[in-house]
Amino acid sequence: MSAVKAIFLKELRVEVRNVQAISSYLLLTVLILATFRFAFAATDPPMDQIAAPILWITIFFCGMFSLTPTYKREVENETLDGLLLAPISRSSIFFGKLLATLVVIFGMEFFAIFLFFGFFPVEVPDLLALFALVAIGTFGFVALSNLISAISANTSLGAIILFVLMIPILLFSVVMSAVGGTARIFAGDGIGEVVDELRLLTAFAVIFFATGYLLIEYVLGD
Amino acid sequence: MADEVLVAKDIVKSFGRVRVLRDVSLTVRKGERYVLFGSNGAGKTTLVKILSTLIAPDSGELLLFGGHIEEREMDVRARIGFLSHSPFLNGDLSAWENLDFYAQLYSVEGRKARVKAMLKKVGLYHRAYDRVATFSSGMKQRLGLARAILHDPDLIFLDEPFSGLDIRAQDMLNGLIVQLSEEGKTFFSITHDPAKGFEVATRAAVLSGGKIAYESEADDIEAFSERYKGILEEERL
Repeated sequence: MSAVKAIFLKELRVEVRNVQAISSYLLLTVLILATFRFAFAATDPPMDQIAAPILWITIFFCGMFSLTPTYKREVENETLDGLLLAPISRSSIFFGKLLATLVVIFGMEFFAIFLFFGFFPVEVPDLLALFALVAIGTFGFVALSNLISAISANTSLGAIILFVLMIPILLFSVVMSAVGGTARIFAGDGIGEVVDELRLLTAFAVIFFATGYLLIEYVLGD
Repeated sequence: MADEVLVAKDIVKSFGRVRVLRDVSLTVRKGERYVLFGSNGAGKTTLVKILSTLIAPDSGELLLFGGHIEEREMDVRARIGFLSHSPFLNGDLSAWENLDFYAQLYSVEGRKARVKAMLKKVGLYHRAYDRVATFSSGMKQRLGLARAILHDPDLIFLDEPFSGLDIRAQDMLNGLIVQLSEEGKTFFSITHDPAKGFEVATRAAVLSGGKIAYESEADDIEAFSERYKGILEEERL
């Protein structure tokens, strides 16, 4: 447990000190939302139809760009061997990095959602349902990306592999369910009406997390 | 038997179709400073990674502290230190934060006192709160040594530890190795530089063609160097 905590805190420290990366994520969020706002300004489509896809496109792309460095950074700094030599399980590395990534992404999403409501004034009767969808969807997204980040870290095409492997899986699992559920919440449904989407997202999250946990020993092996 | 810290028997390792190590066997005893020489590409780094448990051999037997690694992996790892030409330090963290991080991974008791003592030992306490990215290569290597010995390991692996260091830093590192050896630590070092390696060696060997081509006590540098040159010459032919 202390190893997980140590890795979690170390990752957070490194992320927080990487001011350039943080400002890039924030700028990207503003750019995506501003682009959609102006792109739809002329036609002015009904907000409850376009808001959910826009929110998830923003979360998805900002998340993708912020996730790449987790394991790649260890390889580039030549610190991965230092972790692997320590008397800790590989799953401690997985958990520590996963938790740190979750905190970073949640922070980023908080900013993105706050900004989203500024650009797209949508009424949300059940905020709890929206946060539940975002939280569970993000967990699945981060669990999968954490594993693929570890797989791709040792290759020269790491970032490309990360995107190529992740995008199709995420689009057909997390993104489709999350957009469907979010659209219903924006249309006025409460948490009771999006239980199916929440269950589906939870199932994906559990599958991605369990796969990562079971495979990390081999992924980080020689 | 009791003083055998590391025993490798018939270690074989291939990467794809390239066989890097062929039946490597060697024994390192407690308190020894075993230095393995070899040209670039001889398989030294692969061997040291296998011996330090970082990668697994294709076949062969490895005994560390009298037992197989599979039997008590965490216990064995806790007794191993490793310093390579890359010091395994995060440039975004300070010297203190780096050592404190590793101290947590190794469950070092009296963490703060130990980190402070290690920083003083390698002469970097005055830079404890500076980011490692601002350190020179020599300072990073000294901090890397502090990291490698932070958990008081019994066996320390050194992979080309002098590369990128100036003369002063090399002498300091040599001094620390000898001092730690006198405190009972065992060293297994790899290098291609006989002059540097022999300064600390108590036993030396040459890895050539994926095998231990020669091994002797490190008491006659001239005879060893002659033999080493001969082996390198044979490699060229």
